[in-house]
Amino acid sequence: MQSRFYLSLLLISSLVLIAFMGIAFNREMNPEWKKYQTEYKDFLVKNAKDASTRQRAERIQIGMQQIYIKSLERSDRCMSCHRGVENPLMAEAEQPHRQHSGNYLENHPIAKFGCTVCHRGQDRATNMREAHGEEHTHWDFPIIPSKYIQGSCAQCHDYEMLRQEGGEKVARGEELFRQKGCQGCHKIGGKGGDLGKDIAGIGSRPFAYFSMKHVVGDHNLYNWVKQHFDDPRAIVPESEMRVFLTDEEAELLTTYMMTFVTAEMPRNYTLIKNVIQPKIDGESLYKMYCIACHSDGRVSLYDEIFKRTIPAIRNPAFTRSIDDEHLRTIIKEGRKGTQMTAWKVSAAGLTDADINKIIMYITMNRPEKKPEPFGFLKYKADVRHGEELYNIRCEFCHGAEGKGGEGFLGINLRNPAVQKADPEFLAITVRDGREGTPMVSFGMKGLKLDNQDIADMVAYVKTLSQKK
Amino acid sequence: MIPSITKCKRVLLIVCLFLFPLTSVVLAQENDDEYAALVESGKKVYEVRCLLCHGSKGDGNGPVGIIRRAERNGRVLEIVPRDLTMAVFRFRTTPTGCLADDQDILNIINNGVPRSFMPAHEKIPIQEREAVKEYIKTFSYRWEEEDPCEPIAVVKPEWVGSSKSVDKGKIIFKEMKCGECHGYEGKGDGPKSNDLKDDWGKQILPFNFSTGDLKRGSTPENVYITFTSGLDGTGMPSYEDSLNEEDRWHLVSFTLKLMGKLDKK
Repeated sequence: MQSRFYLSLLLISSLVLIAFMGIAFNREMNPEWKKYQTEYKDFLVKNAKDASTRQRAERIQIGMQQIYIKSLERSDRCMSCHRGVENPLMAEAEQPHRQHSGNYLENHPIAKFGCTVCHRGQDRATNMREAHGEEHTHWDFPIIPSKYIQGSCAQCHDYEMLRQEGGEKVARGEELFRQKGCQGCHKIGGKGGDLGKDIAGIGSRPFAYFSMKHVVGDHNLYNWVKQHFDDPRAIVPESEMRVFLTDEEAELLTTYMMTFVTAEMPRNYTLIKNVIQPKIDGESLYKMYCIACHSDGRVSLYDEIFKRTIPAIRNPAFTRSIDDEHLRTIIKEGRKGTQMTAWKVSAAGLTDADINKIIMYITMNRPEKKPEPFGFLKYKADVRHGEELYNIRCEFCHGAEGKGGEGFLGINLRNPAVQKADPEFLAITVRDGREGTPMVSFGMKGLKLDNQDIADMVAYVKTLSQKK
Repeated sequence: MIPSITKCKRVLLIVCLFLFPLTSVVLAQENDDEYAALVESGKKVYEVRCLLCHGSKGDGNGPVGIIRRAERNGRVLEIVPRDLTMAVFRFRTTPTGCLADDQDILNIINNGVPRSFMPAHEKIPIQEREAVKEYIKTFSYRWEEEDPCEPIAVVKPEWVGSSKSVDKGKIIFKEMKCGECHGYEGKGDGPKSNDLKDDWGKQILPFNFSTGDLKRGSTPENVYITFTSGLDGTGMPSYEDSLNEEDRWHLVSFTLKLMGKLDKK
């Protein structure tokens, strides 16, 4: 009785095994590409106009296609399905038979370039899902959606040429990158602020580098980058990135991000026609490094993300009262305790010449008329009286400890830019206030404190750094 | 002797009768003087600490002017300090349309209003805070003419925050069309959010539940009061009449969920 049970068990399991082997064999004999190639051949035979073309079509051998390119270390098998990619007859056909769009293949013969060097995807795969690397196949570089494909062009070409022929999107992305001030926070080639992550090589970073938890749709690099541009905090909740982009701009910048790859193309592939560097003047430098936070620099905005007010650095009331030397110190050394990074060569890679150009741009609209001098040294300042005044006059904006910060209108008075500043400058600011900001005039024009009181207050503010 | 006593009494009574109005007038005079002194001291504190933002007339037009510019979809919103001359306050415990309770005003002075630069003044002496409160009341005639209202009673049911209550709240959120302003996911980006104005004609933003705490505090009780009293002067109405108490508490559960307050527990 028992032996019969085991016998039937053996029988069933053998049958199952044979069935599985049959399925596997069948699959191996009829791969996806075979179906497509038969379709392609049938199409050509059916649409042949004369006998000779029909004969040629009938002679097409069905078999695995592979292009091996030694210098790129690629063996692209894409043509196994996409056999019509070079055939003008297939211009209107459905994928995978359609001819390649545009005139790209004229200058990039498939035999030399292959496909994956531009389109990415898995070169050796023999079915669509794995070759395209989509739908959670965990292939690091799935096929690039056509809207971002121009990012691949910049591997070999310069932007000036791309702008003129066939690479408009990536060229515009590069322009946007400079105009939106991305380098204000992100370093590229050693130049840029350090609030954000270095974006060098982002286009060839493996999948595991990114947190994909909140990405909608396929979990891949392209979706991550695009959705991060749309709403940084939806993808990385602790992100401080300030970004205001339209959908189109986000797409262009995503395209541009794909140009940051680590691998270099072999010399005989690259074609740099114009090595003209874009003109770098004060305005474009301001846009590259400052605009992301300071926008046009005319109004000061309280920022929800930074939890502080970002100063209006091109406001005439500011530029009038600050001299170039003072500005240079702030730009070079940054402001500790705020998001303002140090921009000197050793920290953010800006040369003195660059900084001078930026200062020129910032102070472009500096009014001729200097403020009336205060004469701080004439007054014998009483720090204790200054403290009393501070506690009723300044405390509610700058905080009891002068630290400013979240929930306070005023700036941090303990930072070096204030503590190292000339008392004369501070006294003038307190006396006249700062237009375009919440700092009101405490002098005779405003809240009617006399100069002695102001001198006392300034003297007290100068002692804040010595406090605990 | 007896008649003389009664006579004496009568005289005394008459004198007292005459004196009574006189004394009450004197006493009232004294009270008035005290009140005037309080208001006067409040004025002094106000001029040093409050005038910068709220202005000398209490109309929110002080030397500081615009205290904050917020940027939303490329639109810059200018946020100015509160105008006290209409005696309209958002953070009350009284029903909509009513004057604020004394304690409501003191609460704002004491604790400040987060994310609006109104600082907390707990450290200054209580007499000064009381005095400022009385001085603020001189900005509007409403404080003299209208009677104060009773504060809303808040009794939090046990089930607030339970998943069942959150689900019910979600349905109410949808039914009451809260999403039209606050966004269907509570991100403050509903279809009407771009053209909301307050009673002073200034553009305002509906609350984005994903940004953090409510200005009045995010306890369930505070959220309930917001639904019940409404935020007078803004587009946020009172739901005292349109939703029953239970539904309002369900809505509280859902709002707490949106703010992520239920996850931490």
